Amino acid sequence: MMMRRTLAALLTAALLSAAAAQVELTYWHGFTGPDMPLMEQLIAEFNAQHPDIVVKAEAIPWGNLWQQLEPSVAAGRAPDVVAVNEDVVTGFILRGALAPMTPDALAAADIDPDRFFGPLWDTGVVDGVAYAVPVHSVMVVMYYNKALFAAAGLDPDAPPTTRDGYLAAARALTTDTAGRHPGDAGFDANALATWAAGIVSPWMGGTVAYAFTAQNGVTFVDGADAGYAPNFDSPAAQEMVQFLVDLVDVHQVSPKNATEGSEIDAFRQGKAAMNFNGVWMLSQYAEQPGLDFGVAAIPQFGSERFATWGGSSHLAMPVQRRPDAAKQAAAMTFIGWLTQPEQNLFWTAAGGLPTQPEVAASEGYASNPMSALGESMEGTFVLTGFPFLAQFRGAWDAAYEAALLGDKPVAQALADGVAEAASRIADGLQSLPPR
Amino acid sequence: MALAPPPARRRRRHATGGPAWVPYAYLLPHAVLFVVFIVYPVAFGVYVSLHRWNILSDVQRYVGLEFYARLVTPGTPQFAFFWKTMGNTALFTAITVPALLLSALGLALLLDRPIPGRAFFRAVFFLPTILAVSVMGLTWRWMFENQTGLVNILLDLIPFTQAMPFLTNVGWAWVPIVVGTIWWTVGFNMILYGAALAAIPRVYYEAAMIDGAGAWAQFRHITWPQLNPVTLFALVTTTIASFQLFGQPHVITSGGPLRTTQSVMMFITEEAFSNFQFASAAAMSVFFGLLLLLVTGLQFRMTLRDLGRGVR
Repeated sequence: MMMRRTLAALLTAALLSAAAAQVELTYWHGFTGPDMPLMEQLIAEFNAQHPDIVVKAEAIPWGNLWQQLEPSVAAGRAPDVVAVNEDVVTGFILRGALAPMTPDALAAADIDPDRFFGPLWDTGVVDGVAYAVPVHSVMVVMYYNKALFAAAGLDPDAPPTTRDGYLAAARALTTDTAGRHPGDAGFDANALATWAAGIVSPWMGGTVAYAFTAQNGVTFVDGADAGYAPNFDSPAAQEMVQFLVDLVDVHQVSPKNATEGSEIDAFRQGKAAMNFNGVWMLSQYAEQPGLDFGVAAIPQFGSERFATWGGSSHLAMPVQRRPDAAKQAAAMTFIGWLTQPEQNLFWTAAGGLPTQPEVAASEGYASNPMSALGESMEGTFVLTGFPFLAQFRGAWDAAYEAALLGDKPVAQALADGVAEAASRIADGLQSLPPR
Repeated sequence: MALAPPPARRRRRHATGGPAWVPYAYLLPHAVLFVVFIVYPVAFGVYVSLHRWNILSDVQRYVGLEFYARLVTPGTPQFAFFWKTMGNTALFTAITVPALLLSALGLALLLDRPIPGRAFFRAVFFLPTILAVSVMGLTWRWMFENQTGLVNILLDLIPFTQAMPFLTNVGWAWVPIVVGTIWWTVGFNMILYGAALAAIPRVYYEAAMIDGAGAWAQFRHITWPQLNPVTLFALVTTTIASFQLFGQPHVITSGGPLRTTQSVMMFITEEAFSNFQFASAAAMSVFFGLLLLLVTGLQFRMTLRDLGRGVR
């Protein structure tokens, strides 16, 4: 009797203390696609390994998450951890929605900034202070059809890497229905049988054009010191946009009026020999029967550096009305754990790229088709770092589209785009809280 | 026992007499929902539109009518985009509203006859209405895709026609949006017209036939006037729905090419949730709401006048 009572008391005490020590975290993320089961597995494993912390995750489509995050912070009902993307993170930081992470807090959670790809880490940093840790990374790559390369007499294992190399390969790969190549007498650009790669309209077209234009050293928007002045009408930017337009009109190695959708179809049908799109297209192309393709970094058309478009998701802590030290520590533990190499490697199975060189070089990653991208991952040029990304991006897409569709000459289109972006950014600056 | 009044009388006394607040109690449930979900958000929207609104800031700076002034001041981005997208939306409305009313009426007239499989066809024409806009949009985008879409493959096969880059061609980009919208929403008005047609007393037609009226005369002088109330209802609801165009261009063209298919609702959403300019977006919403109210009021006046004439 006595022993049973003691046992019961002990059990109750144990349960009580466990309940008292257990911290409950809410976590909002937008991984609602095929990556959701993997995220759920990771959270379940974290909860199993950390009896003192319970993470309750809520998957919310990204667009809805952006709409809900700031109102939830204002209402004091923000989640403890949130995943935010590269195109909105700086805005959230500058508008005061995300809490900073001190170097001590980072160290305590075993988060080493040097472990990550530089541009990726910097995406979550404002004025030298870290606010968000990279957990997911994507970029624009080049898919190429090995059978079409071989048929055109090109090495199916050496896709072009330079502008000249691309033009030479593109001419060989482009044929009209009579088998003529661009430049041949009687070549009919309106009746293409196969072609190199379609230069497509925005959004994807603006993304790809952004990547190539960044290779000419263009930064698109100046830093905070210069009032975020847009600069994508520079001669370097004009040069690249003109080259892309010329791929259609002068070099005739792209069909006119290509869209992202028409090019995806054409690549799957074996008409387009190359396709510039995100790493997320891999599973669709892999499922296409009879399509023998490879993945490579996009070629370097620019003269200044290698660059491609990168997107990413980062884990951050929204600002709480009543900050709770225990919850903050637990949140950092969760963020630290989820961004460790082991978890990152597991996560890449969902289609994302490694967030850190160590994972990219690991044995476990070698079997992933994206491992062929190798060093190009270092060259990801992430469109981020200023709070008016939407304002810039809308104007850039419109300018590029006007140039591509022949609505305006390139210089005029870009000048109009810069004027539009400048007026919109000026608008945005006025509603930013003082820092 | 014997003193108890019969139950029927008790009930009647309750229904007629009763305290004065009883009718209001019946109105209350709807009034609460109406205030919470309509009146309060609209009033709050007006309040937001008068401030430089930052949801995370403790103080919201009052700017008065600045954001409204921008909508009527050339040179501001709000002026440029609001009126451009407003024009796009008006164009869409001008095309789709007559098309949707006429096609719905046509289908309803065809299905008003006792043909075999009438219920089946009604169901088929109504079926697309239940689809989500994303499903409908992706379907029509796929049909009209440049080069690889079914429509273009057919245009290539048919002699003397050529493939048309619908999605990147200014003007033609409306075709997939308009065709998709008609296919998607015609069923609803068709059902309305169908019910109204069935309700027209047959004696009118019999009398007209005795007087020697032909099919057109019968339609012109009996069917059309009798349908007037339904036409007014369909006209108003279809116009409002068309002005609120959002999902179809969002999915099919993303507002392109060159922003020519971007609707005013798409721009307001962009201003609020991409640009985070809540006050500017709220001002545009209020302004747009007032415009819509004006249009609806005009329609009511015009059609009510017609209605009066029809009855006489």
